[in-house]
Amino acid sequence: MNWPLLSVVIWLPIAGAIVVLLLGSGARAQLGKQLSLGVSILTFVLSIPLYTRFDQTTAAMQFVEKVPWILRFKAYYALGVDGISMPLVLLTTFLTPLVVIAGWQVIKLRPAQYFASFLLLEGMMIGVFAATDALLFYIFWEAMLVPMFIIIGVWGGERRIYATVKFFLYTFLGSVFMLVALIYMYSKAGDYSIASFQALPLTMNEQVLIFFAFLLAFAVKVPMFPVHTWLPDAHVEAPTGGSVILAAILLKMGGYGFIRFSLPITPDASHSLAWLMIGLSLIAVVYIGFVALVQADMKKLIAYSSIAHMGFVTLGFFVIFLATANAPGTDGARLALQGGMMQMLSHGLISGAMFLCVGVLYDRMHSRQIADYGGVVNTMPKFAALMVLFALANAGLPGTSGFVGEFFVIIGSFHASAWLAFFAATTLVLGAAYTLWMVKRVVFGAVANEHVAELPDVNAREFWMLMVLAVAVLIVGIWPAPIVSAMDPTLGALLDHVVQSKL
Amino acid sequence: MQNIYLAIVLAPLVAAALAGLFGKTIGRAGAHTVTILGVAISFGLSVYVLNGQLHGDPIYNAVLYEWAELGGLSFEVGFLVDHLTALMMVVVTFVSLAVHVYTIGYMHDDPGYQRFFSYISLFTFSMLMLVMSNNFLQLFFGWEAVGVVSYLLIGFWYTRPTAIFANLKAFLVNRVGDFGFLLGIAALATYTGTLNYTLTFEQADRLAGTSIEIFSGAHWSLLTFACICLFVGAMGKSAQVPLHVWLPDSMEGPTPISALIHAATMVTAGIFMVARMSPLFEHSEAALSVVITIGALTAFFTGLLGIVQQDIKRVIAYSTLSQLGYMTVALGASAYGAGIFHLMTHAFFKALLFLAAGSVIIAMHHEQDIRKMGGLWKYMPITYGTFVIGTLALIGFPGFAGFFSKDALIEAVHASETPGHMLAYWAVLLGVFVTSLYSFRLLFVVFHGEERMDHHTKEHLHETSPVVWLPLVALAIPSVAIGWLTVGKVLYGDWFDGSIFVRPEHNPLSEAAESFHGPAQFVAHGFEGPTIYLALAAFVTAWFLYLKRPDLPARWQQQFSGLYRVLANKYYFDWFNENVLARGGRLLGGFFWKVGDEMLIDGAVVNGSAKTIGLVASVARNLQSGYLYHYAFAMIVGLAALVGWLVFRT
Amino acid sequence: MPTTDLVTAAPEAFLTFAICAVLLVDVFLRDTQRNVTYVLSMLALIGTAAVTLHVSVDHRVLAFGGSFVLDPTSGVLKMFAYIIVGVVFLYSRENLEQNGLLKGEFFLLGLFGLLGIMIMISANSLLTLYLGLEVLALAQYTLVAFNRDSAIAAESAMKYFVLGAIASGTLLYGISLLYGIAGTIQLDALAEHFARPGGIGVPALLALAFIVAGVAFKFGAVPFHMWLPDVYQGAPAPVTLYIGSAPEIAAFALVWRVLVEGLGPLHDTGWQDMLIVLSVLSLGVGNLVAIAQTNLKRMLAYSTISHVGFILMGFIAGTPQGIQAAMFYTFAYVLMAAAAFGMIILLSRAGFEAERLEDFKGLNARSPWFAFVTLMIMFSMAGVPPFVGFYAKLVVLGSVLDRGLVWLAAVGVLFAVIGAFYYIRIVWFMYFAEPTDREPLAAAPDMRIALSANGLGLLALGVFPGLLIDLCARVLGG
Repeated sequence: MNWPLLSVVIWLPIAGAIVVLLLGSGARAQLGKQLSLGVSILTFVLSIPLYTRFDQTTAAMQFVEKVPWILRFKAYYALGVDGISMPLVLLTTFLTPLVVIAGWQVIKLRPAQYFASFLLLEGMMIGVFAATDALLFYIFWEAMLVPMFIIIGVWGGERRIYATVKFFLYTFLGSVFMLVALIYMYSKAGDYSIASFQALPLTMNEQVLIFFAFLLAFAVKVPMFPVHTWLPDAHVEAPTGGSVILAAILLKMGGYGFIRFSLPITPDASHSLAWLMIGLSLIAVVYIGFVALVQADMKKLIAYSSIAHMGFVTLGFFVIFLATANAPGTDGARLALQGGMMQMLSHGLISGAMFLCVGVLYDRMHSRQIADYGGVVNTMPKFAALMVLFALANAGLPGTSGFVGEFFVIIGSFHASAWLAFFAATTLVLGAAYTLWMVKRVVFGAVANEHVAELPDVNAREFWMLMVLAVAVLIVGIWPAPIVSAMDPTLGALLDHVVQSKL
Repeated sequence: MQNIYLAIVLAPLVAAALAGLFGKTIGRAGAHTVTILGVAISFGLSVYVLNGQLHGDPIYNAVLYEWAELGGLSFEVGFLVDHLTALMMVVVTFVSLAVHVYTIGYMHDDPGYQRFFSYISLFTFSMLMLVMSNNFLQLFFGWEAVGVVSYLLIGFWYTRPTAIFANLKAFLVNRVGDFGFLLGIAALATYTGTLNYTLTFEQADRLAGTSIEIFSGAHWSLLTFACICLFVGAMGKSAQVPLHVWLPDSMEGPTPISALIHAATMVTAGIFMVARMSPLFEHSEAALSVVITIGALTAFFTGLLGIVQQDIKRVIAYSTLSQLGYMTVALGASAYGAGIFHLMTHAFFKALLFLAAGSVIIAMHHEQDIRKMGGLWKYMPITYGTFVIGTLALIGFPGFAGFFSKDALIEAVHASETPGHMLAYWAVLLGVFVTSLYSFRLLFVVFHGEERMDHHTKEHLHETSPVVWLPLVALAIPSVAIGWLTVGKVLYGDWFDGSIFVRPEHNPLSEAAESFHGPAQFVAHGFEGPTIYLALAAFVTAWFLYLKRPDLPARWQQQFSGLYRVLANKYYFDWFNENVLARGGRLLGGFFWKVGDEMLIDGAVVNGSAKTIGLVASVARNLQSGYLYHYAFAMIVGLAALVGWLVFRT
Repeated sequence: MPTTDLVTAAPEAFLTFAICAVLLVDVFLRDTQRNVTYVLSMLALIGTAAVTLHVSVDHRVLAFGGSFVLDPTSGVLKMFAYIIVGVVFLYSRENLEQNGLLKGEFFLLGLFGLLGIMIMISANSLLTLYLGLEVLALAQYTLVAFNRDSAIAAESAMKYFVLGAIASGTLLYGISLLYGIAGTIQLDALAEHFARPGGIGVPALLALAFIVAGVAFKFGAVPFHMWLPDVYQGAPAPVTLYIGSAPEIAAFALVWRVLVEGLGPLHDTGWQDMLIVLSVLSLGVGNLVAIAQTNLKRMLAYSTISHVGFILMGFIAGTPQGIQAAMFYTFAYVLMAAAAFGMIILLSRAGFEAERLEDFKGLNARSPWFAFVTLMIMFSMAGVPPFVGFYAKLVVLGSVLDRGLVWLAAVGVLFAVIGAFYYIRIVWFMYFAEPTDREPLAAAPDMRIALSANGLGLLALGVFPGLLIDLCARVLGG
């Protein structure tokens, strides 16, 4: 069967979203809900062949589609996935149904628009990962802001407007400079295909400018210190589903951008500025780790922990230059790159799960304050078990997915320098500290107040929603080989491309 | 063979899963049956394996499955089973089995019955993964897994603030150790390109040659760096100073796990790991002397603290710390065999002591303060008897298990050439006095002297049920006999030749081995050495202070209040951690958050620029005055500017 | 010969006659029958369009002694102008009726203005250009004041008239200077003259300065923008709609004819830098001051100014791509502006003009569909894909980057981000705020359909911009 798989998984949700919108939030809202769930699940099922029929021996783009789009710009509707984007696409299709389920009984206000927004978002996010044409990529990249803006603004918390406007302008500011860079390269390369950008010879000066243009766009998305401050606000105010998508997938786009654009297009600039990136990444790990420690708001704490974890991603991506320089061979770099990717995937699962957990509590108590909880385990044992599991995964426990990426990155950075590994490894302590301290105050202890005493344990919907993630987290942790080997050829090729100068 | 090993590992795991996930359906009886069955299977098979090793089975070293493969590194999961492993397997599964049985009685009316059994079976699984691993990845997995189970078990009674404080503390302190451990693994992986033990050991010589620059100018031998990092991990798990602080608090957990995890097995993981890594440590004298020094400090100073504790479990906990120090010292002295041997004997008699203490606690209705006990011997003879056996083993009374391991250990330290071994020698020697002092103090205060428990408790005092005391007996037997039986083979024989490497030029055990002529002679020889007399001296002191003149200690507390306060505050380690590290971390975090994020980045830059723009906007709108002549004027000015600029330009 | 001349000018001629005819009919209509005028005007537009199509050519045809030109570009621009004017009439009819303003003048003046636009589009001589300009201007002055009872309307009409006079004066002065220098007022002749080595002297640049000033006024570029906010706010919504949309096409034609075709040779030495200054100022003032506005019409006025800044960028490049970009941007902008003002009209009722931002509060609750349409308009104006406004920015940025003006592009996007704020503010009013006025939307179906189509058009052109881009490129011979 050679039907355009990628187009289907991009446009099916979008089409679904339109139908759901047309059904409206009135009498047929329930039908719309079911439709959303059906569509998202169908999308996931359809996306599975992307893995099963994925050729793990090549670094080339697969499931390629190419249709003329804007001829005068030589811009094509060109799709394809390789070892980098395929797992991210699957992550997206895997999480969206969970998000739909998460909002099932909770969203009372204009449900149709809520679920439609997420379906729209799904299609666009997949588009971002699957686009092999820079213009198409940018379209999806920016268009995504619109539904997210609405999601946070409409279904968010008290300060939602401040948060969502901050989110929108922050990210918009970041991406417009990327647009300038893309146009600039288009005027040199003559078309918009990312591949030809990567092949484009650029002087050091150009590379540095382009690198910073990209940096602004991607650093904001990741987010890296010091442009991270939109994230805590956005996370805190966003509805559960929004936080999940935000943390699990939107952040990954920053990492994806670095590995798809910055590294291959401006290798020399990346090399000479690696110190900056590594520095910022380590600040993210250590500085943000401490900040997370003192958060009183669960969502904020997890948001900061996300920043810290994403620090590992950028560290893994940019330590490769030092790793190849200070140790023989490219083994260290391979590890670091893989580590970054694994960290992205695993963080997608874990942070998503953590936010779902907070959502479960929030739906019951309508508070995110750690202080309002305590001894949840007494009334919600099932939930507590799952939350503790996710917390441990978040602290990078071996046997869970959280460990894989950090392990790779730490070994990889040791190839570069013992000190890098040293600072990176502090996450073992910090991560455990802020995560488990929260667990201690929320989950353990005697029943803190009468509200906690009345908490009902997770219902079937919530239980299975979390269970699916728990299983995924464990499987990836116990046997990451399938993913690793799928990504390895692409990353290897990328590395070979990056280590040789364009000058 | 592989299937047997798999069975050994998986039996407890499956049992744990059953008890944990379906606890409600299978009920209490179901839970303990299935878990005990699981552990029994692994125990039986472990014995079978050990027997096989005794009769010359080859070393088993094979990969189960490949976890991941990339960057020239192969991440695997596999087993390495040799004499060392087999010994550990038997010890672990035996103690675990005893504890499982004991738990039936101890946790009898606890609501978390099934959960508890599930945890301890899970622990058994993790511990077996740790000891049977043939590579660093799996080692680290087991390492962390046991940590987590210990975390869960210390906090088993999650409604107690102290318990959930202790388990968080334990996990974090262990994480500090694992932090070093992971760095060590990373260092080795980086420079050897493998995570497999044997492949790493083969390159030990080369690694000793390679040097890395830690600070500019400061070049270290890679191996020294790696070994010290690994040892930091061991310090965490095996509670060596200054990372020992978590172990006493871990007594918040139910007594069975204090016996299983915090005395017999998990805390000895560090010792086992260093012994396993002997081919590496042997190449780094610096690392060894770090090990022996840390061990010596732990052995002596934590022992002292045992004397001033009033909680029956904490006394034994400090004794555990001190004994772990002994083992560490042995490792540092390159007498790995002695270390492991002491580990084994200690596992039996310390588990025995804990379980006996637990039996006392049950009888006392979960009263743990020894000041409220006394004269228990006539109420619970079996417990008393076994406790005495445990004590004698602990203080190393000739003939008992502890005697063989400890005496051999002390001699070995004396004979070793590791820098700092003399300090260590004195530490362990005086440690004998300390050990015997706090042991007999405990024995006398709890089982002898006046009965200080309240009336109600006294009426219900009676020997505990068979499920409780049978395990005591089961453990008492090896506590007496194991030394006698195995000292020749394990300690002075060739038992560890295949698994532990000691550089022949400084092998303290081999020297002692020449003068070894059977256990009987060894016992006889024991009466010549100083140790027994130190122990006896301590016995007399304890008798005098706690039975003859119980008023003295109290008075001395007054007189040497300074010294007493230092001991009572455990050398202020906890104070430092809580007030400097923990609070400091929170203060730093708060500073970063409030000042760095909210004030500078958000306040000044983000919202600041937004405000500025708003300000500019509100000012600029005033240009639009609404007066026609203003507008016209603006146009004229604009025109003039264009013209003027032209003229200026040409 | 004369016949061909007339043929080339057939659309203009037809429209003139049509206007007279409508005027005659209108005189004899009773106030209740003004819809007839409306219909007739629409028919006039359609007729003109038909004629234009009939005489459309694929090459330059000069007429009236070279003072009038018919070329593919003019054809396209005119057709587009018809469409927009038609849309304006369509949006306006009901609103005028509700406010008792449904008079023949509106449509007639509108058509007169269109005539002026057409003449400007086809002008090949500075005088023809000026003629068209004045026809348009006069029509606009009158339209602004067209609501006799409104004082503010009269005031702004007055301002507009005076300032417009000044602008025309400067333009005319520039023209006369050029005539003095080159001895011709025919654009292609001027181009030839200045193309000659040494053809450019200080006088020429002086003239250029005056021309640019006049042009800038028509466009509403800073600092010649002052009339714009007051007029937009003062005039009744339908008039604002008219002024805000169709004349922009004329403005584009003006700049293109005069600066590119006529004074092209002076690009590098002269007007490139002038336009850069104007463009940056317009971007800055437009975007910044728009933030401080609470009146929607006024806010859109400033947004217009900022868009002008972008359109000028296209001319700054001076390259064919640049001109195409400017043209594309003009089309895109006019579509967006029409939709935006149309939305104001849609929300307005008899005696109530929904011109405050607050009036959009909770629109999503009142009418999800039109909230969504507005959302598309606003994000399109902000330049967020997948809406046409994004490509408009894309092409102009591309053209300045081709000229190596990276800093200018950077300034442009920076202000685009600042500008995004006041566009999304409307979105948040619609979606995140609770409605202050719960009146259901009362608007005729034709209006609803047209506006929906207009909004969806922004999306459609955003997903498939190729057609329009190609069109611009083809007619400008890129």
